[in-house]
Amino acid sequence: MGTDRRLAGLVLLLGLGAPGCVSPSMQSDLARVRELTHMPLPPQLAVARDEGTGFPEEVRQWLQQPLTAEAAVRIALLNNRELRASLRDLGVARGQLLQAGVLPNPAVEVELRQQEDPGLPFEPQAEVRVEYGLTQAVLSVARARAAQRELEAARYRTAAFVVELGYTVRAAYYAFQAAQQRVAIATQALDAFAAARDASQALFEAGNIPELDAATQDAAYESARATVAQLELEVLERREQLQRLLGLHGEATAWTVTETLPRMAEQEPALENLERKALTASLELAETQHRLEGAAQRAGLTSVEGWLPDVSVGVIAERKSPVAPAHGEWEWGGVIHFTVPLFDRRQGTRSASEAEFDALMERYQGMAIDVRSAAREARNRVLSTYLRARQYQQVLLPARQRVMRQTMLQYNAMQIGVFQVLQVRREQLDTELAYVDLLREYWTAHAALEALLAGRRTGAPLGPGSGASLAGGTEAGGH
Amino acid sequence: MDRRSFLKWSGLATGAAMVEPGHASERPPPARVVAPGGQVAVITPNGVTLPMKTSGKVKVGHLIAGEFEHEFAPGMRALVWGYNGRTPGPTIEVTEGDRVRLYVTNRLPEPTTIHWHGIIVPNGMDGVAGLNQRPIPPGETYVYEFTLRHPGTFMYHPHFDEMTQMALGMMGMFIVHPKVPVGPRVDRDFALMTHEWRLDVGARRPDPNEMTDFNVLTFNSKSFPATEPLLVGKGERVRIRLGNLSAMDHHPIHLHGLSFKLTATDGGYVPPSAQIPETTVLVPVACTRVIEFIPDEPGDWAMHCHMTHHTMTQMGHGTPNMVGADTRKLDHRMSRVMPDFMTMGTQGMGGMGEMEMTMPPNSLPMRGGPGPFSYIDMGGMFTILKVRDNPDRADPHGWYVHPAGTVAGPANPQQMTADGIDLSDGKPER
Repeated sequence: MGTDRRLAGLVLLLGLGAPGCVSPSMQSDLARVRELTHMPLPPQLAVARDEGTGFPEEVRQWLQQPLTAEAAVRIALLNNRELRASLRDLGVARGQLLQAGVLPNPAVEVELRQQEDPGLPFEPQAEVRVEYGLTQAVLSVARARAAQRELEAARYRTAAFVVELGYTVRAAYYAFQAAQQRVAIATQALDAFAAARDASQALFEAGNIPELDAATQDAAYESARATVAQLELEVLERREQLQRLLGLHGEATAWTVTETLPRMAEQEPALENLERKALTASLELAETQHRLEGAAQRAGLTSVEGWLPDVSVGVIAERKSPVAPAHGEWEWGGVIHFTVPLFDRRQGTRSASEAEFDALMERYQGMAIDVRSAAREARNRVLSTYLRARQYQQVLLPARQRVMRQTMLQYNAMQIGVFQVLQVRREQLDTELAYVDLLREYWTAHAALEALLAGRRTGAPLGPGSGASLAGGTEAGGH
Repeated sequence: MDRRSFLKWSGLATGAAMVEPGHASERPPPARVVAPGGQVAVITPNGVTLPMKTSGKVKVGHLIAGEFEHEFAPGMRALVWGYNGRTPGPTIEVTEGDRVRLYVTNRLPEPTTIHWHGIIVPNGMDGVAGLNQRPIPPGETYVYEFTLRHPGTFMYHPHFDEMTQMALGMMGMFIVHPKVPVGPRVDRDFALMTHEWRLDVGARRPDPNEMTDFNVLTFNSKSFPATEPLLVGKGERVRIRLGNLSAMDHHPIHLHGLSFKLTATDGGYVPPSAQIPETTVLVPVACTRVIEFIPDEPGDWAMHCHMTHHTMTQMGHGTPNMVGADTRKLDHRMSRVMPDFMTMGTQGMGGMGEMEMTMPPNSLPMRGGPGPFSYIDMGGMFTILKVRDNPDRADPHGWYVHPAGTVAGPANPQQMTADGIDLSDGKPER
């Protein structure tokens, strides 16, 4: 009994404990995906992880300091469950490849027959027939080749997922950073609204303005508070979005990010030969190409299957009945079994395969057109956001600062009052807000372009933030 | 020296004064006689008299209309239009019966004319563009020639696009002394033009489109403290000729320390029986008013327009009424929003002129000038009548030295008690 238990334990260790080990095939899949994406996919990615083991040490370390976009991507590569699942999905294709290459089993037929004379003692006639499907064995090689294409296509698919994940994490990271900055700016604007409210309250209490003016300022302040609350929710939502992408939960959710979006490079981004580069890099195209090759091989296979008779050969051994001359001895013979491809020449399947191939080819060519278009779109978006953000950075923000300085001078000269000063301050903050949104658009577009050049088209970039204006209307500016 | 050569000499003297425009002499010019009966030359504070040559029997003068930079007061300069590089243009000073030939050269970017405001001239010399003459094109010189048939205090200004040209400073005084002096002989004769401008704080050119909101008010195009004081002698008979070519406003000019009589307008002399004593004379738009007085109380006396906003240089109208507001909460808040912000005006605006704050260039908002006791928080249309025992030896820039015990000061508590003034409850008596 004790021996049985040990044996059961060993079986469990080999069977259930196996996920803890890394199969060489998964490592090779990971290595291939790493090669295709040029991304630092950690070897641990191939190791299955359950909740009990907690977060990898690297993740803990990265989370201890303010996250950069790069660190966020690395955490996602280690920790994103969808990515891990995607890598394991490769096992399906690999399994199919394995299955396709397996040789068919031989068929064995044993026949026992009673002698015809019931008076004789029971000693049945026996016939043993062993057959082996030659055609299927030959075709398995071709099937394995097609499945190999499918596996390679699946690797490209996973690689594309990795690239897209990198983009999605970056986009979410910039969105969160921008949301944080927006709240910080909106809070300053709220202070300006509060100051206008305080000023109008003081003037009303002194008897200098009617209650209408004080009430107007109060209402403007309360509206601004609602706007800030909305922006605070946006921060929380962006945070959760990033949280999900990084696969974080529990204590690991107390991370912070570097406070402000990075400044853009001084040089305009060089965007030459983008279409060619995007086509060359496209993982989707490569995947489809492999699928096309697979489909072509399958179609060819079907065609061959159509005219190739299904041939199997076998051996027959028969033991004669007692009344037979060579009683009790085995007789040997051979068998060849084939079908005549007269009616079923796999026309339907072949037609379906060809149609599938043609459809895939159309998609492939359409995809190439789309990738070119995506390259132009990405270039336009990067250039436009760069130029607009640079115009804000170099012209509009300094212009607003100049307006603010001159406003203060006019205030010093008593040409305008505190309400106009605050209105101009809010307009300045509104411009800063628009700049943050543009900067975020630029970095997101930049990440999308990088993803495209790494082989993956991404969806439309996330839209701008809530678009709330902080300046307030004229109702908040009067006195 | 006969009268003719004397006049020639005096013309040269004023011409020399024009060489250095804007330089106030350290001492007042001696009262020079320029007209029959010992009539003294007109003094144009901060200004000059037009030099005139005699050609045959005609007095010849030359006015050049053009653009230049003018300093309203230190710290406030602007591009203006005027004559001979000045605003107001040189005072033209002649005598009744004189024939004058006045060349007018136009160096403006647009045509112009000159209208001799209040002077009865042949119709073709009246200077109304289109009605009496063709406008003088830029770059050209026209000539006006007429005989002064009536004495009086007149003015001159353009009558082409007058809204722009006058708003930018084109005007001047035109004095015609009578052949036979009217009234008692005066010892000092001043000419002051009032004017109003819109010069936005930080701008470099007055705005001629302004219709109501003027913020720079001037005597002879100067804002206090740049207005040159009027130095006169105690017991002297003083004449002040006031002309107003403001766009929209009359100016109630108020003199401290004396009362005066209105002796003439641009329509003629006021008969002595109609000369009523006043301390304020309203100078309507497009009118001249001549007042005369004999000060008997020495000192530094304010002379100003009594419209309070007219004595506030670049008065700010955009500030809300902050008087009496408790802004402690606001100040605390503003220290977070705008650290450079400072609340102003909660205790009135008297100290604004003295506050050292960064200002826009070319501006002088809410400024006054230094006084012997403290800052004088009036600006704009404000000047000082300095009455001295010996005006010819007095420093026109010096302050009056008050005899002991003649300056208001803190009250003596004992005397207050003795006089029955009780402030023990901290409230004013009712």
